[in-house]
Amino acid sequence: MFACLHAEDVSQPLLLECAREFSPCVESTSPGMVLLDLYGTERLLGPPQDVGQQILRRAKDILGVKNKGLDCNPSVAIAATPDAAMYAALGFPGVTFIPVGQEARRLASLPVRLLSPPPEMLETLESWGIRTFGEFASLPSIPVTERLGQEGLRLQKLARGGSERFLVADEPAEDFTAGYEFDDPIETLESLAFILNRMTHDLCERLASHALATTEFRVRLELESRQLRTNEEKEVYEHVWKPPLPTSDAKFLCRLVCLDLNEVAFEAPIKRVEVEVVPSRPRSTQAELFTPASPEPEQLEITLARIRGIVGTADEDGTSCVGSPQVLDTHEPDSFAVRAFSALPAKRSARGPLTPTLVLRLFRPELESAVELTGEQPHFVRLWKKHRRVVAASGPWKSSGYWWNKTFTWIRDEWDVALKMPKGVELYRIYLDHLRGKWFVEGMFD
Amino acid sequence: MFSACSVRAQIETRIPSAFAVYKRPELKFLATGISQIDLLTGGVPVSALSEICGPGKTSVLTSLLSSATHQEHFCALVDAKDSFDPASAEAVGVDLSRLLWVRCGKSRQDLPPLEQAFKSADLLLQSGGFGIVAVDLSGFSERLLNKIQPATWFRFAHVVEKRETALVFIAQQPQATSCAGLVLNLKTKSPVWRDNLLTNLDVEVEVLRTLNKKPPNKKLPQSIGPAVSLKPQWT
Repeated sequence: MFACLHAEDVSQPLLLECAREFSPCVESTSPGMVLLDLYGTERLLGPPQDVGQQILRRAKDILGVKNKGLDCNPSVAIAATPDAAMYAALGFPGVTFIPVGQEARRLASLPVRLLSPPPEMLETLESWGIRTFGEFASLPSIPVTERLGQEGLRLQKLARGGSERFLVADEPAEDFTAGYEFDDPIETLESLAFILNRMTHDLCERLASHALATTEFRVRLELESRQLRTNEEKEVYEHVWKPPLPTSDAKFLCRLVCLDLNEVAFEAPIKRVEVEVVPSRPRSTQAELFTPASPEPEQLEITLARIRGIVGTADEDGTSCVGSPQVLDTHEPDSFAVRAFSALPAKRSARGPLTPTLVLRLFRPELESAVELTGEQPHFVRLWKKHRRVVAASGPWKSSGYWWNKTFTWIRDEWDVALKMPKGVELYRIYLDHLRGKWFVEGMFD
Repeated sequence: MFSACSVRAQIETRIPSAFAVYKRPELKFLATGISQIDLLTGGVPVSALSEICGPGKTSVLTSLLSSATHQEHFCALVDAKDSFDPASAEAVGVDLSRLLWVRCGKSRQDLPPLEQAFKSADLLLQSGGFGIVAVDLSGFSERLLNKIQPATWFRFAHVVEKRETALVFIAQQPQATSCAGLVLNLKTKSPVWRDNLLTNLDVEVEVLRTLNKKPPNKKLPQSIGPAVSLKPQWT
């Protein structure tokens, strides 16, 4: 059974507050109207006939007090379908109970304008002499559809009280945060991990109960303020983890956080910890049958965190040490970015037949060198503290860029040279940096 | 008296695999994208350790990565000396979005780059899901690489045996000895210059070891017939 509580000129939160005292499934249908699903409340609240009286009493208490004593005349209706309850509450004062199967008969006396038909349709109905639900419901369906269309048929079903629909439950915004203040500030990761583990499990259970997952996991650690500092200054460590896919796996999140926190050296003991998960829809992907296996996203994220613990997070320039390389859209040599690696299936790009190609191995940083020239051509190149004779050379290939910015500008002459080495001839790329006035060995063809 | 058969039957009822003969699963190969090498070796063996040595090794590895990423495999490159050039790789056709690049020796100075590379490769193998895990040891001196314990290679070979991953090392000289399923030794011939431009570098490929069925009446090491012709990007 469904109940409808209707009161005009009343704030909607008050109505919802009142309705939630009787059912957890409440729909905020329109301003001044809420629908309640009473399924399963019989043993708690009694038969539906009595529930109507209880709702009305409670509504008068709440609305009367909180609405500054204004008389708002609430009405309550109980019926087997949500729409029948809604129209009964709109049309009849006080409490109305409609037994199952008698919806059409009880709603018959209501004026047809309660159905809120479009103005043209209302005009047509009036011209036919149709003024009540009962008169509209008694018309044959097929001629109604022929003359008023699908909208007319829908309204006729409503007038008969027979339409079925699900309530769109209005749920209060859930707070997915948790905090814990330690009695004594803690200094070890084990103690922190213990609390973090418990909080994360609680939050993930709450996410799972709402059929949600998270794509953002935030941890905020308040450190004990050092005595030397002034007043109430707080030291705070904040970090955000963004898993590649929505997850509600508490074990995975805990391991990820602990692996990263293991690399952080805190300057003071931890006084308080706060955890927040940002809810999102859970992932819904279907793996393809005929594609090669790919790394499992959660396991991969843990592996990458462990590798970052071994090789470090970023180099001196701030470029990540672990990730997927990306060539930047510039002519500047050795310009690349490293972005987060994702094992999600990417769109396959078309490619022509592969031809064996000679590639360059770079020296990072480039090797400073000295070059002896014969005319314009390099004749000897100093490499690894020894002079190497140039067997053949190709160049100079001039390039420059960022001439408008003195910090990033570059001008260079590149040469591809074959150097006589003890084990044979090797190919290198050297260049003259005009700004620094020096020669460098950029890499070797290998 | 118990007969041998009855004893065997009794043991097998309690330990079913006690007398089972270990059978190596059928080998799979990943094409390198270089037809001469693929024809002779079948490609790089999956679930085995491979080594590519000598000048031209980076080009062969890049070709292998290009071929594998276009077969929708995810690949990992552990770059011990941070010498990988993404622009060259992209020009060869490597799908960089499917490549995980681990740059060793850039941030943490307390751990030697070689150790970082081995630990990273081990984690990637254990993680699973990668078609190729390549480790670039090219920049290290032979003296340093010779110090690697043989147990390291045995361990890698044992770990990769249970994975659907091809583990590829590139270095100046072969190091893994009998642990390797495929060893390619490359030797360059004189580069070809035309009109003041480098146009070609021929590379002779020698197969020192392979898991693939050997051609009849041929002994290892053997060189493939015509040399592999590596062309620079600008030709």
